[in-house]
Amino acid sequence: MNRALLAHTWRSQRLKLVVVCVGLAIWSALLPIVYGTFGQTFRSIIDSGLIPKQLMQFGGGDIFSLSGALALGAIHPISLILNSIFAAGFATSAVAGERQRGTLEVLLARPLSRQTVYVTLLVAVLGFVGIAVAASIVGAVIGAAIAGVSGELVPARLPFFWLNAVLLFGAIGAVGLAASVTFDRLTPAIGLTVGFTVVSYFLEVLGSLWPDAQGLQRYSVFHYFDAKQVLEGNVAAGNLAILAAVGVAAIAWALAVFPRRDLAAPS
Amino acid sequence: MSAIATAGLTKVYGRSRLPIRPPGHGASIVVRALEDLSIEVTDGEIFGFLGPNGAGKSTAIRLLLGFLHPTSGSATVLGLDAVRDSVEIRRRIGYLPGGIALYDSLTGERLLDYLVALTGRPPSRRAELCERLELPPETLRRLVRDYSRGMRQKIGIVQALQHDPELAILDEPTEGLDPLMQRAFYGILEDLRSAGRTIFFSSHVLSEVERVCDRVAIVRRGRLVAVEDVEALLARRKRNVEMRLTGPAPDLTGVAGVSGLIVTDGRLTCQLAGDMQEFLAAIAGAPIADLTIEPAHLEEAFLELYRDAEEIPA
Repeated sequence: MNRALLAHTWRSQRLKLVVVCVGLAIWSALLPIVYGTFGQTFRSIIDSGLIPKQLMQFGGGDIFSLSGALALGAIHPISLILNSIFAAGFATSAVAGERQRGTLEVLLARPLSRQTVYVTLLVAVLGFVGIAVAASIVGAVIGAAIAGVSGELVPARLPFFWLNAVLLFGAIGAVGLAASVTFDRLTPAIGLTVGFTVVSYFLEVLGSLWPDAQGLQRYSVFHYFDAKQVLEGNVAAGNLAILAAVGVAAIAWALAVFPRRDLAAPS
Repeated sequence: MSAIATAGLTKVYGRSRLPIRPPGHGASIVVRALEDLSIEVTDGEIFGFLGPNGAGKSTAIRLLLGFLHPTSGSATVLGLDAVRDSVEIRRRIGYLPGGIALYDSLTGERLLDYLVALTGRPPSRRAELCERLELPPETLRRLVRDYSRGMRQKIGIVQALQHDPELAILDEPTEGLDPLMQRAFYGILEDLRSAGRTIFFSSHVLSEVERVCDRVAIVRRGRLVAVEDVEALLARRKRNVEMRLTGPAPDLTGVAGVSGLIVTDGRLTCQLAGDMQEFLAAIAGAPIADLTIEPAHLEEAFLELYRDAEEIPA
């Protein structure tokens, strides 16, 4: 890992990181408030049979419990978009973007091996993802306090929530970075990463809304982040292992491909 | 010791080194970008690497830096293997890429600080270079995105040389510099040579090669056409002769070194190579009103070599 590159990456992304963290904290604070304020009302509506139950269990979350509300917040597209700014956006542009702009030349003219560049950027991606997820947890804690439901939150389970979410978005980040070191242009790298994320998300949400499609959920990385279960104390080690395996596979690909690639003059 | 030595260095694009060809890497067309390049750049010289666009200059440089992997052949830089010791090589050299791209969101000063931090060596020459290239502190405090093309090129030169590298590899270094700055840059190169540094200098501007280089390699279509002392190349060049006559033209047919003879109304032009004695004897007594003999530029010597190289199968 190279400290100068890491510091430069940190400086260039810090404003964006602050905006993402504030956005995630506000979003995560809203869910406990919605649960505290309208949870019982929604429960009555569902119990009346006016709305199909599946519609209130979007992506494994609901608003009938604090853990369900936080899970709903974690799997909601708003959360996905905010977390993907670093997991997908930064990761894919980290190398392919520099290559397209021509600045990778200047960077690789320094005494840095490509492995060092990759590992440094991977650490940056995981750091940004970790901070963003932590911000959403802080927001959830604040929201629970505002809604007066803090008692339902078990602080000892929050590190597992953080770990599971970091493994999920870290895996997406590792896929994004692998795409980034593979392509000379940003467009195919973004296409591959966004495609992977969106298809994965679609399979998970589809399975949660349509019982016949539940079998497809196992092909989604989002399926292995069951936030509600984690917050209720049921951490599935298998889920963590699968997400870690996806990340490790992407890292192995990148470490095999990047050092062997020819970096021809930018056109 | 050789600062750079290549032996049969060859790069063919279109043969993947990857275990699996990723989508978008379907290069089915084989391009021989560089073929059998064998050159030796000695310590302390300014070596020009000449050729038109697409001749293989940048490919050769990228092979030396480890950006590309050779298809065959080998290269050493400062005695180190270009593939195996690429990181150590880049610790000891300075590199200016052709058409350099910089981080637009940084100030010039912060950019130079960042790049020298990555290099891990103190910027011992930065102040002097900035002064000679007219980059005052107030300019360096501006964002790179506000710089003109010439200023970006100056920053590119400073970043390549600020840590006083043993070897500087410069790809089209005067691109975008105005004539005054070009002159300042040539002065910097002269000083680096005096300090024992080696410069590997790619260019297609012949006049600057003529001015600053000790030796020159000429590449064309990926092949080495010639490696020459610039002095020897210039000595071999033809002179352009033009005379205005008030009477019949002297008979220059068969005179040694004379070629391209054209006689029109009171005007004779030809090229003259080698010793002039026979030519001077042939025109003695001719009714000459005016005579101009000017040395051909390196450009013409260069074109001559290229014409010869046409016979090499591409």
